[in-house]
Amino acid sequence: MFDFFIHVASIACLYGVLALSLNLQAGFTGLVNFGLIALFGCGTYGAALASGMGWHPLAGLPAGLAMAALLALFYARLGRKLSSDYWGIATLSIAEILRISITNEQALTGGAQGISGLPLLFADLKPYDGVPRLALYALVLVLAWFICQRIVKSAFGLAMKLMREEPQLARSLGYDLDAIRRTVMLISGAIAAFAGFLYAHYLTFVGPDQLMSPETFLIWSMVIIGGIGNNWGVVAGAIVMQFAMAYVPFVKDALDLPTDFVAAARLVIVGGGLLAFLLWRPKGLFPEKVGGSRGR
Amino acid sequence: MIEATNIRAGYGDGADILTGISLTANRREIVTILGPNGCGKSTLLKTIAGYVRPRAGTITFDGTDVASVPIHEKVRHHKVGYVPQTDNVFGTLSVSENIMLGARLLGRQEKEKRFDALMRQYPALASKKNRKASALSGGERQILSLSRALMAGPEILLLDEPSAGLSPLMMHEVFDAIAVIRDTENLCILMVEQNAFEALGIADRAYVLSLGQVALTASARDLLDDPAMRKLYLGAEIEPAA
Repeated sequence: MFDFFIHVASIACLYGVLALSLNLQAGFTGLVNFGLIALFGCGTYGAALASGMGWHPLAGLPAGLAMAALLALFYARLGRKLSSDYWGIATLSIAEILRISITNEQALTGGAQGISGLPLLFADLKPYDGVPRLALYALVLVLAWFICQRIVKSAFGLAMKLMREEPQLARSLGYDLDAIRRTVMLISGAIAAFAGFLYAHYLTFVGPDQLMSPETFLIWSMVIIGGIGNNWGVVAGAIVMQFAMAYVPFVKDALDLPTDFVAAARLVIVGGGLLAFLLWRPKGLFPEKVGGSRGR
Repeated sequence: MIEATNIRAGYGDGADILTGISLTANRREIVTILGPNGCGKSTLLKTIAGYVRPRAGTITFDGTDVASVPIHEKVRHHKVGYVPQTDNVFGTLSVSENIMLGARLLGRQEKEKRFDALMRQYPALASKKNRKASALSGGERQILSLSRALMAGPEILLLDEPSAGLSPLMMHEVFDAIAVIRDTENLCILMVEQNAFEALGIADRAYVLSLGQVALTASARDLLDDPAMRKLYLGAEIEPAA
């Protein structure tokens, strides 16, 4: 049971990093990205490619970050022409196109079978390797939280919030919205790809099923339930959602329900949780503190 | 100061909304753009501001070609202040935070100096400087929006229907404030308005638009007495000027 807890906590930390990435985009800048999972996938496939090519495992990180930067710039470029809702649909479409392309490509990505055999971090410490891994992921989560906090408390963070609230008014004050969008996408894309890199080396396997669109909506549910626009909140949302998802099989066993129940219940937790919070507590468990401390 | 020549503009792939408009506006002058709904007033202001890129024609500020310069660069490099018609304050920020946003490119001392001067000029805002902007009335928001634009020390002020949604009393207050700005700040003010007679009361010159063209142009005083303009505002159409 202890190992299971360590496992769930490790995954929760990595999803917490992803939730922080989405929160920078959607929570603070108003960029409704439904294709976040593709940025995460850049990190996982960066790790997989390095492994497949026989490179040092760390070489996968710059590879993943470079792919994420290209994709983030492409997303940002699309945002110049599309309004917020159409941009969201476009990002979802691009993430799906990438997943389907990866599924149908064999030589580099291993197609639907994916790539296995990635090195596990701290594997030589078995049977106690889970704890240092969890410590590393927790440290990454704290670091990502700290970076996100510094950004949103800075002058640039104020610009992000102004863009979210009244984009046309922000432009009339001299803010370059394209530059803000580009910068936010690059930073948050790097954070998501870093989480993907660690995730790949945790599962030691990378496959296109990890990039299904429900994964994006799982991250959205963490952000909405935790409190969009609040970095503490989205981390709490990630932990709550990850543990809720992990303990579904125990409920199934306790109630003697069929195995199909687990997958269905997880979808209900994501969809029902999103709907319930959007309807009755749209600001989430920990609402954003609005208003700044600047001025006089 | 502002010189626009043969401007053609529209949105997306749609037809031209402005079909060859020319206008000028100078320092220490309020030029108002009038006309019925849908004639292209706001599109003209947005084109001059840089929200809409003209499809043809030239726009210069003091002789510098700025036709393809977007709004954020005009604000930063060409001393332009723009006050939108609606959504013109950040409701979650306080009054003082809103005003300070206008001066974000200035040094700290200059910011403080201008802020104090504005608070003296608009005591109604000064008394509410720590309140959220969302708690202000429509007229107060317009004054706040004007103050924020002035904080950056603009040379050109573009106003999109500053009286929109205001009561007659608040409308007079806002127009009075605009006239004072013209008299004290040495600015070139270009203002789109629906309330033609109120706008002409403070303006120096006016352009009356019809179907994307300039139908009439004259001094505000002459236009106030012009039967053609009265006819236009009663719903009748007039021929564009040759």
